[in-house]
Amino acid sequence: MTTRREVLQGMIVSIGGASLLTACGGVAQVIPSDAGDLRFFGFEEMDLVSRVSDLIIPRTDTPGALDVNVPGFLDGLMAEWANAETQRDQHRNLRLLRAQLGGDFAELDSSTAESRLAQLDADAFDGRPEQYSAYRSWKGLITNAYFASEEGALLEQQWVAVPGRWDPSVEI
Amino acid sequence: MTDFDAIVVGSGMSGGWSAKELCERGLKVLVLERGPEIKPERDYVDQLPPWQEKNFDRIAQEEIEKHYFRQYPGVAYAVKESNKHFWVKDDENPYETVEGTSYDWLRGYHTGGRSIMWSRQSYRMGPQDFTANKDENVAIDWPVRYEEIEPWYDYVEEFAGIAGNRDGLEQLPDGVYQPGFELTDAEKFFKSQIETSFPGRNVIQARIAHLTNATDEQRSLGRTNCQSRNRCHFGCSFKAYFSSLHATLPAAERTGNMTIVHNAIVQSLEYDSATNRISGVRIVDAESNENRTYTSRIVFLNASAIASAMILLQSKSEAFPNGLANSSNQVGRNLMDHISGAGANGILQGFDNKKVFGRRPSGGIYIPRYANITENDKPFSRGFGYQGGASPVGNAGGQIAGIGKDFKEAHKSPGPWRINIGAFGEQLPNPNNRVTLHPTKTDKWDNPQALFDVSYGENEHTMLEEARKDAVAMLEAAGCTDINSNPVSLTVPGNRIHEMGSARMGNDPESSVLNKWCQTHDVPNLFITDGAFMTSAACQNPSISYMAFTARACDYAVKLLNENQI
Repeated sequence: MTTRREVLQGMIVSIGGASLLTACGGVAQVIPSDAGDLRFFGFEEMDLVSRVSDLIIPRTDTPGALDVNVPGFLDGLMAEWANAETQRDQHRNLRLLRAQLGGDFAELDSSTAESRLAQLDADAFDGRPEQYSAYRSWKGLITNAYFASEEGALLEQQWVAVPGRWDPSVEI
Repeated sequence: MTDFDAIVVGSGMSGGWSAKELCERGLKVLVLERGPEIKPERDYVDQLPPWQEKNFDRIAQEEIEKHYFRQYPGVAYAVKESNKHFWVKDDENPYETVEGTSYDWLRGYHTGGRSIMWSRQSYRMGPQDFTANKDENVAIDWPVRYEEIEPWYDYVEEFAGIAGNRDGLEQLPDGVYQPGFELTDAEKFFKSQIETSFPGRNVIQARIAHLTNATDEQRSLGRTNCQSRNRCHFGCSFKAYFSSLHATLPAAERTGNMTIVHNAIVQSLEYDSATNRISGVRIVDAESNENRTYTSRIVFLNASAIASAMILLQSKSEAFPNGLANSSNQVGRNLMDHISGAGANGILQGFDNKKVFGRRPSGGIYIPRYANITENDKPFSRGFGYQGGASPVGNAGGQIAGIGKDFKEAHKSPGPWRINIGAFGEQLPNPNNRVTLHPTKTDKWDNPQALFDVSYGENEHTMLEEARKDAVAMLEAAGCTDINSNPVSLTVPGNRIHEMGSARMGNDPESSVLNKWCQTHDVPNLFITDGAFMTSAACQNPSISYMAFTARACDYAVKLLNENQI
């Protein structure tokens, strides 16, 4: 069973591990180690976003969401970009998300947490009911943050800075 | 003795052409630009990779509310954190609208004006566009026919560099093109389905102002071929898309005849009633607030259709109490834009095994106007073209089901192909659609604020309702699934950033401001070659027409000068 504390430890290990991946760098920043480093998230919010991020985009043969510091990026985004109204809305969304995932989500072992998030995800995209819009919104933010990272863009999306040509028909 | 042979007001899309053409004909030219200088090596951000963009390149919401409350909602797709310095701050550049109306005045004040922010679609007007007013007894007749402007289109296209295909359509004449950006397989399929199902409708490559086979002349200006980065709204370090900053102004500069002064806001044109000539151009320095007056033999207004009209309206004299060159009372009237807000998108099945390489700039496909061209059963006059394209849905931004490794992997797939088409329609000229000087409100330089009173008529509303129906019908005919088409929501006037018509040309001085050469009827040494001259809007993106009419007007003006006629 992986506890919340172990998840946080895992994040730190993840950063350490990421530094061993030659592709990692650029956007990766130090994950805040306590609430004092946070600018938007409260500690429990950071915990929640981190765990959800890790489950949505885990490390595979490429870095995962925690490796590229998606939670830290989103903490900065909400602190710098969002106005007071948006910040209030997003705090509310995170409270709703935490409630939908269950109060014990942070304490669940990895397998159980993954199953619970998978069920929430299935419910959220089956007809896209309104009550799951908060989850879809944060899933979008997490995903976009990941693919906007250097690792996400280069390794996953094969982003090329200067393509130099246009080929409208490439066989996969 | 004047300070210069010519003064060009504005350094943007048409002002750059005025500078180039006049300088190349040997005139000493002063270009007055109201904004600061753009230095690409300092101001361009096209080399910024996604991971170096701050906050997804979004402008902070509080900053939008304070500074970009009109610009950002108007063009959110283009106004970003990294390039916001290309766009004016609304709180520093205010304007007003008449109650019950709205207007998007979307601008960039700097070297090159909006030519560094435009979307680069470049279509000629067709023969029908120059006769429509006369044929339909709308507004006034154009004093020019297509055949007269055709060689000037050739001329400006060759210099600017337009990528496109020669499609042989009478209503959308072919031009001088560099190789176009080939259609995707899905677009080719869509083209075949539409052209089979709807004889008289065509799907062609978008024609865009990008170099794909740069000429020696273009290379001599430091321009190179488009690198398919689609970073155009952030400037182009390769100088691959046409802008006055990288094409016409450097061409003017190398003649040794051009002087450019930045931060020079023109307040008025001084009129000498004894000679019936403009005798000076009065400016206020945007930084020092000092006033200066420059003199020249001729003046070209290229400040944009709105600003040029305002300069005339601000230039009052005993001879012209309602504004300079405004004996017709048409200055500021007939303000037009294009209309959008109708279209559809859908999934084209069968292309999941294909992807693209490179990021095609600007549009993919164009569906030229067919309404009242090849189909004459429409409940409206004039017509519209569609811009759009088909591409893989690609990175779904998290909006697909699933988590974990499979979800991550799913984002590597280009996914299904979606086609999108959106209409650009013609707005009819209406003298009640106008910009005037606000009677009391001024900006920080004590210049009157613009007051807009622009509304769409029944024809515009009806046209777009039909455009929406047609878009859905075409997607259905192409076999699309998951078709989406929102109810028509007409764009706010000005939102297409194609303002024009505020000093229209015509044969009769009593009903028009300019003659067929873009020369004011009232004052012989004053020319206006930005969008103000347009007698009707057509439905094509207008910049290439501004360029052609500007080059033609410059040629004419210099001939008059050489013959001592002005």
